[in-house]
Amino acid sequence: MRRSILATAVAATFLLATGCGASGSDSSSGGSSGGGTLHVYAWAGEIPDSVVKGFEQETGIKVTLDTFDSNETMTAKLSTGASGYDVVEPSQYSVQQLIGQQLIEPLDHSRIQGLDNLAEKFRNPSYDPGLKYSVPWIWGTTGLAYTDACVKEPVTSWKILFDQKYKGKVYMLDNMLASYIAALQVTGSRATTTDEAQIARATDALLAQKPVLAGYNSTNYAQLLSTGQACATQAWSGTSMAKAVQSDSNVHYVLPEEGGSIWTDGLAIAKGAKNVDAAYAFINYLLRPEVAAKATDDGASASANEKAREHIKNTDALKNAAVYAPDESIAKADFLLDPGPAIRHFQQGWTKVRAS
Amino acid sequence: MTSTAVPGTTGAPGVRRLALSAAMLAPAGVVTLALVVAPLVLVIRNSFARTDAYGNVQGGFTLDNYGRLADPVFLKVLGYSLGVAAATTVACLVLGYVVSYYVASRPPQRQLGLLLLIIVPFWTDFLVRTFAWINLLSPGGPVNSVTDAIGLTSGPAGWIPSQGASFIGLVYAFLPTAIFPIYASLRGIDPSLSEAARDLGCGWWRVHGKVLLPIARPGLLAAFLLVFVPTLGVFVIPVLLGGGKDQLVGNLIVTLYTEFRDQPMGAAVSVLLLVLLLACLAAAGVVTRRLRRKA
Amino acid sequence: MTRGKPRVHVMDRISAWLARGVIAFLYVPIVAVVVLSFNASDVTYRWTGFSTKWYAELAGDTDLLATLLTSVEVAVLAATLATVCGLLAAMGLNRLRSRFRGVFMAGLFLPLVVPEIVLGVALLSIFGALHVGLGMGTLVLGHLVVTLPYAALIVFGAYGSLDPSLGEAAADLGCRGWTAFRKVTFPLLRQALAAAWLLSFTISFGNIVMSTFTNGVGSTTLPLRVYSLLKGGLTPEINALGTLLVLFTFLIIVCVGVRQMRQVLTGGNRSPQ
Repeated sequence: MRRSILATAVAATFLLATGCGASGSDSSSGGSSGGGTLHVYAWAGEIPDSVVKGFEQETGIKVTLDTFDSNETMTAKLSTGASGYDVVEPSQYSVQQLIGQQLIEPLDHSRIQGLDNLAEKFRNPSYDPGLKYSVPWIWGTTGLAYTDACVKEPVTSWKILFDQKYKGKVYMLDNMLASYIAALQVTGSRATTTDEAQIARATDALLAQKPVLAGYNSTNYAQLLSTGQACATQAWSGTSMAKAVQSDSNVHYVLPEEGGSIWTDGLAIAKGAKNVDAAYAFINYLLRPEVAAKATDDGASASANEKAREHIKNTDALKNAAVYAPDESIAKADFLLDPGPAIRHFQQGWTKVRAS
Repeated sequence: MTSTAVPGTTGAPGVRRLALSAAMLAPAGVVTLALVVAPLVLVIRNSFARTDAYGNVQGGFTLDNYGRLADPVFLKVLGYSLGVAAATTVACLVLGYVVSYYVASRPPQRQLGLLLLIIVPFWTDFLVRTFAWINLLSPGGPVNSVTDAIGLTSGPAGWIPSQGASFIGLVYAFLPTAIFPIYASLRGIDPSLSEAARDLGCGWWRVHGKVLLPIARPGLLAAFLLVFVPTLGVFVIPVLLGGGKDQLVGNLIVTLYTEFRDQPMGAAVSVLLLVLLLACLAAAGVVTRRLRRKA
Repeated sequence: MTRGKPRVHVMDRISAWLARGVIAFLYVPIVAVVVLSFNASDVTYRWTGFSTKWYAELAGDTDLLATLLTSVEVAVLAATLATVCGLLAAMGLNRLRSRFRGVFMAGLFLPLVVPEIVLGVALLSIFGALHVGLGMGTLVLGHLVVTLPYAALIVFGAYGSLDPSLGEAAADLGCRGWTAFRKVTFPLLRQALAAAWLLSFTISFGNIVMSTFTNGVGSTTLPLRVYSLLKGGLTPEINALGTLLVLFTFLIIVCVGVRQMRQVLTGGNRSPQ
């Protein structure tokens, strides 16, 4: 008798845990049938709370915002087909991959207002011609950061990251595609190349560079510069770099003369989204200039919305190269695309570099 | 020991015993089969699969993924990882034993408090702690001030990034994992046991070596497993504290799975690691059994 | 006995001090976290003055607090399930003395030998194939996979160092099943079970990798949130949260804990040394 009570208790605990989960996911996906909730999956910190709250207040739609830290994680979730997300925020090359895998829905432009608020360069981007699948939300650059405290010469080129003089004082981003941007451009190729020989040359450059490096870092490089542990680093524009530039007059962020690169993170509707109406409402809301301005004011990111500029209160950010890179500096920047099958050459090279 | 006689519930004891055992094993068994063995079968299957242009697993059968493992690059990563894991494990087991013995020899009512004291630091987010270490070990940081004061260094000196900082971070991260199982097995020891041994003239080393260590063996073995294997999979600490120039196999697998979206290759590396570890464990099992038989 | 104070070997003293030193070492970064939580600067690496603004900011950050709640819920569920499963398995295996035992234990410890990300991705594919919606349920199951080996190993270790004759003695005295468990086994295992639960809770509470692949809509945990903040640089707000967590736990230990835990955990049948 008592034994069966024990067994029942165990079974009950089990059911509770799984049942709990079932009801948990029910309530979250169940909301979609009512049209009252919208599930958004975005890069951390890129859609400020103020934007979410404003949208909720105006429309009465409840938003759950979950965040990811890499396009690949987001893609893995979407490809299960049961992610439950309505709106996602992929980067440009990821948009291409999601289109190819049919994980995002084509956009119905008749339901979108405000696309002409976007900056000219984002209205017809190569990764998504005609913006058939995505609406650019924020943009940024991959460039070069350095500190005057240590570097006493003008910095204009990736070459400083390959310079023996700074041995043990330079860092590269811990990211394959970012590292190859520098290595390809410094060896005279475009960052968008898919040519095997050019990629091999870049790999050799990276291999030769490794002894010079203090390490690979894509998290606290701004801190390393500011505390003097690094002289120069490869860097992404955005929050942490912007803060370092703003708080330390010695720290600078530039795009190298070889070009550097531009990236965008945009909004797209996930395949099988349950609440398509709310998704369009959300995209339209984010296309408003005064809302887009909050990406800069509250999130320290550059908005892809040209008309947002007038509404930005933090005018320092507009002048901060680590947020809005000046137009002339991005003239030569490459727009990084999905390399397609050539990705294998990058991967083989990068594996060799990291393990060497 | 108190005991109450229960009115005999008769029946076929063997069958009942078996049924009860099965019921007790069921929860852990179901979890293991459904959530560990099944995914693992999938991983093994995927290690022979091909992918499409986007890195999605396509099925098919190929040995390519294993063929690519012949590259000495992977051997190097594996060797380095095993070395780091071994060093971390030794440090954690020694310190873990010392702390466990200390806790287990306190009055019982204080032991749980001490355990909590040990575990509380780990409720602060792992990354927050790691960044605290970075701040501490940076040039001009607190550790630097101390070494300046006692004359070890003069002027700004930093220990980030370095293998040493990475080692400190790893030991720090896995210490409680070592302490808890060792404590759990020392816990049952009657304190009079070591006193008796001592009274019989056993020195400190002999008491520990001949009496306590054998009792703590299950705990030590558990601690070994819980520290050595997960260390191989660590990827944040070596990057943040060690500079990320030397890759651990965990780091490689994460890169293969996320950045490369190359599941079959990642699966192949994992399967290789799995086989290697199981072989090591089996060998260790055989050796200890032999030793025990001789002893 | 006519012994005065027991002789304390010098090695006992040294090892006790070493143990205290190790415990203090665990607090080194925590002290830094506490200090930095009062830093006025926007960046965690430069001290610009004393301020409590991060605590104010934390209080207003409902999203961050929601992730904390999610983490606690998941960790409590996962740790409890893992400890119960581990205990049951230890008891069940103890009754079986066959080759099955080895196979079962090997299966239980498999997750340790497989890198977490590999299991995480495989679990995600399985959930996807079965059309299981991702959410709290899958998150708890994922954490159960990660914590079960820890809980089980601790309980097995404690079980292993129990005197095997104990259960037989109890059985001989007619003390079987539930009674034997309640009166004999459980009191002896209490502290090991507490240790297993605590370690499982802690591992689940801090988990990043498994959470990445098994969480879903509305179930972002605190570590996931913090990890995703990395790209933009951690804010000192996180230090404030860490400080409060430590403080909160200490309060619990001091206020509620000591007396009751003593009663709960030591029971009556073990006399203090």
